[in-house]
Amino acid sequence: MSARNKPEEEMPAKNKPEEEVENLHGNLKKIKARDGIIGYILRDPKSASVDIKDPSKIIDYAILSSTVLDSGAYMKNTFELGRVKHIVVEGGNLKVLSLAIGDHRISVFMDKKVDHNAIYKNLRLK
Amino acid sequence: MSNDMYATALKDTLTEIQKMCPDIKYSFIFTKDGAIIAGDGEADDTLMEKTVHSFQSLAEKAVVIGELDGLSIDGEKGKLRISRVKELYLVVKASPHADTTYLHSVTNVIVPTVLKLLEKIAPTPLKFMPSKQLIVDPLTGFFTGDNVQIDDTQLKEWSQHFDGKDVNEVEVETIGGKKTRCGVKKIGDAKQQGKGLILIPEKTCRALEAKKGELVRVKPIAS
Repeated sequence: MSARNKPEEEMPAKNKPEEEVENLHGNLKKIKARDGIIGYILRDPKSASVDIKDPSKIIDYAILSSTVLDSGAYMKNTFELGRVKHIVVEGGNLKVLSLAIGDHRISVFMDKKVDHNAIYKNLRLK
Repeated sequence: MSNDMYATALKDTLTEIQKMCPDIKYSFIFTKDGAIIAGDGEADDTLMEKTVHSFQSLAEKAVVIGELDGLSIDGEKGKLRISRVKELYLVVKASPHADTTYLHSVTNVIVPTVLKLLEKIAPTPLKFMPSKQLIVDPLTGFFTGDNVQIDDTQLKEWSQHFDGKDVNEVEVETIGGKKTRCGVKKIGDAKQQGKGLILIPEKTCRALEAKKGELVRVKPIAS
């Protein structure tokens, strides 16, 4: 195999991140349609997608999403937890599942009765 | 029953839980106000304080989802669970393969049971005074005296915890572990109020080896 041929052979890999983003958006839309899901926030370094049932609370949810991920990173270092799979914050009424997939930081808001482990598995699906 | 005995009872409980569940690396308990009540001895003070501070910041932002009941982080090298038990928060760090359902059932049965028992023994709710982290600013000059100075609002807040008794003394502890007990009064200079400062006479700063801008832990002592 010549070195010159390599880039052509790796062409499909260049599209992989885009596919992943599409998959992620698709998964999040499916998740949003589920019973008990309030909405989600998906952020990457250049953009953000927000889909929350109650638009008046978007800013509050966005601040919480960012704080959860920052606190998670802080606690990860403090407690030497290694790479974080997911963070769950439970409030009196709702809970938030937060995780990072590559450059994407995701927070899914849901009722407390929703199985967040199932949501996590869905999000990790390729 | 004194606060110390209450804390000892909870400390022993955490130690026994750890014996039952070797997957627990360490655990401690703090109040909603941020006062650390008891730890199993494995977690150091700095770690506990950092955790409480971070959790309280999160709790402020989490109002939109209701009062914070808990936080869990699953990492490749360990799991962290912070769960509410009545008016307290229990922090547990466990190994990555720990059975969290089992841990949850153990901690959330034993700790509330002990708390209930303590409430029966000491029906008056015990108050744990939250310590405060403040920034050192040395006081210089001939007339600085021996008292440290902190915000009046903070003194009033502590006073409320002591059922209106004045707070005339504080214990100051540096990150290095040096401690001193000294008189306290409100900050006189309006420009220095509301900044989270503790003005400490230079002589005391030298004794504590505390430098300007450093954080110290300040505990109130009621008169």
